[in-house]
Amino acid sequence: MAGWAESDAGAAELEDRRLLARVARGDEDSLRVFYDRFAERVLRYAYTLLHRRHLAEDVVQETMVAVWNGAGRFGGRSKVSTWVFGIARHRALDLLRREIRGERVPDVPLTLPDPAPAVERREHVLSALSSLPEDQREVVFLTFYEGLSYKEIAAALAIPEGTVKSRMFHAKRKLAEALT
Amino acid sequence: MMRCEDVRELIPWYVEGSLDAEEARAVAGHVAACEACVREVAAALRMRTEVRNALDGLPRLSEKTWVRIRERTGGRSIARIDVGSFLLGFRLGASVVRGGVPMRGDLQVLGQNIKLFERRRGGSR
Ligand SMILES: [Zn+2]
Repeated sequence: MAGWAESDAGAAELEDRRLLARVARGDEDSLRVFYDRFAERVLRYAYTLLHRRHLAEDVVQETMVAVWNGAGRFGGRSKVSTWVFGIARHRALDLLRREIRGERVPDVPLTLPDPAPAVERREHVLSALSSLPEDQREVVFLTFYEGLSYKEIAAALAIPEGTVKSRMFHAKRKLAEALT
Repeated sequence: MMRCEDVRELIPWYVEGSLDAEEARAVAGHVAACEACVREVAAALRMRTEVRNALDGLPRLSEKTWVRIRERTGGRSIARIDVGSFLLGFRLGASVVRGGVPMRGDLQVLGQNIKLFERRRGGSR
């Protein structure tokens, strides 16, 4: 089973690299394909960090422009996704700092049109997530949405593995309380 | 045999399937024999599902985000005529680089992109 997952992941990574090489040569169609593979994921990562929809969309935009301009500088030392999320993280934290300094207009909270129980539940979960410190929700996102191992998260965030585990430990406890 | 504390630290990545094989075996071996840790596994699985559902439920990006990216990469959109209101899904787009050389033009009919012309960045082709 692990073998399947690994070869799937390996194929996806190869495809990401091929695309990025074409983007580096200025191929716009490849940028579009790259966008289709990453934009929604980057949006959710940024949303996890910022909890503001319009800022999260800005992060997607800034990240994709940075990918276009910087594709040639991808060194291949990490997975493409780790590289992309690293850019997104940088942009997100930058926007967050600017917003804290009051340079940006605060967003209206995200409201979803359909008040069905499933939607209410999702909103409840999102608000529970947003109540966690940012470094904890980031680990939750990378673990459960992006499927990164704790070792990959430690490498991506440049923190010790023990720190990743303890952030998750605290996040899990707080989320369990909020979600019962 | 691993201690409960060490196992619990790893359970989120165990349910995600992202532990390496050796760690996964050790966690599985412990969990099979420890009722308290089984409950932790169940809780982690629930949390994983809830988090994924919540994030998947966020509204998707609008095409506007892509248009803005295009404006900053391929050139500025100078002629994006949207007549979708009376001709379903019909859209004509063209981009130019700063020098005024057309880079790309496309026609979108019912979500399908039909290329009118395109020049790669950097000239030839
Ligand atoms: Zn145990």
